[in-house]
Amino acid sequence: MDVTARIHEQLTKCGIKIAASLPDDWVAPLIERIAADNQIRHVRVAREAEAIAICSGAFFGGVRSVALMGATGLLTCTGELATLNLRHQIPVFLIVSQRGSIDDHRIYQEVQGRRTLPLLQAYDFPYHIVDRPDEVSSIPDAFETCRMQKRPFVLFLTRRLVKGEGTA
Amino acid sequence: MKARDAIDVLARHRGEAVAVCALGMAANGWWAATKSEDSFYMHGAMGFAASFALGLALSLPQVPVWLINADGSLCMNLGCLLTEASQAASNLKHFVVANGVYQTVGGLPMVNDGRTDYAAMARAAGFQRARTIETLDDLEQQLPAIAAEDGPSLTVLRVEPETGFLHTPPMTYEGPEMKYRFGRALERRFGIEVFGPQGY
Repeated sequence: MDVTARIHEQLTKCGIKIAASLPDDWVAPLIERIAADNQIRHVRVAREAEAIAICSGAFFGGVRSVALMGATGLLTCTGELATLNLRHQIPVFLIVSQRGSIDDHRIYQEVQGRRTLPLLQAYDFPYHIVDRPDEVSSIPDAFETCRMQKRPFVLFLTRRLVKGEGTA
Repeated sequence: MKARDAIDVLARHRGEAVAVCALGMAANGWWAATKSEDSFYMHGAMGFAASFALGLALSLPQVPVWLINADGSLCMNLGCLLTEASQAASNLKHFVVANGVYQTVGGLPMVNDGRTDYAAMARAAGFQRARTIETLDDLEQQLPAIAAEDGPSLTVLRVEPETGFLHTPPMTYEGPEMKYRFGRALERRFGIEVFGPQGY
């Protein structure tokens, strides 16, 4: 089973029924896999903060959801994550590519690589980094932690996880 | 027509609809008109009441969801029109109280002062039903049909800009209390589980 199938399987185990997404190339295969699942309502958005607010609204409908995006998109959402989710203690579960790592040799990702985790720490948003296929099974625990913590929770996918060994 | 009067008319016709309100004028006016706890009043995330309402509408497809938006908020997230059109949630009605100014902060003019046709933008995005209403009489007359039609629809309520700062006071609770009041209200009304057995 490839890694996107494993992640998809774990999201199903979490009871996810809505997925809102805006792709980067690392999470695109996962998004297309979820889009093909007729048990999950997939919402393509025009801006990542839409995904945050869609998942927040879904929470009040009693429906479990996930927001999928790249690290650059996550950085665009910090205002909404603070003034909607922190203010009201609304959990939102995000799956995000961990761009800018030492094996991500794209110059336009470099800034995200060194600032994303400190930014999350400043906001006190919990996160968990999944680096190997056997760690994908931690997703249900991460989802439940998100609910308990009542705030945004970011599950990062590393390059090694989604692209394999080597650099790009 | 004045914003407060237009919101009062919406409130009288809401029926069983759950409301999501953009921050500022829309939220404060809706609270003044309804004092309802089965409404969510945004306090931040300007522009994203629309996306919140879409998520709620997709989660509760049998429940009418009314979005009480404002033009300033809509302009913060115009992409929401594309997302709403693509999802085609038949239970979602999008109202835009359009006064052309940032009323809450003193009535400063908005971008593109008076030239924007939001209903035309919605039609161009793929909405089958979008219109602009200019008077209270027209609103009273058209609202029953708007409430009864399939969504998604977008109805712009063209209201007068008012001078000075907003005077309608906000709702009397906020933050986590709003989360729990709103969530518990939906649990009671629809028999759903928003919060788990341990309350989170």
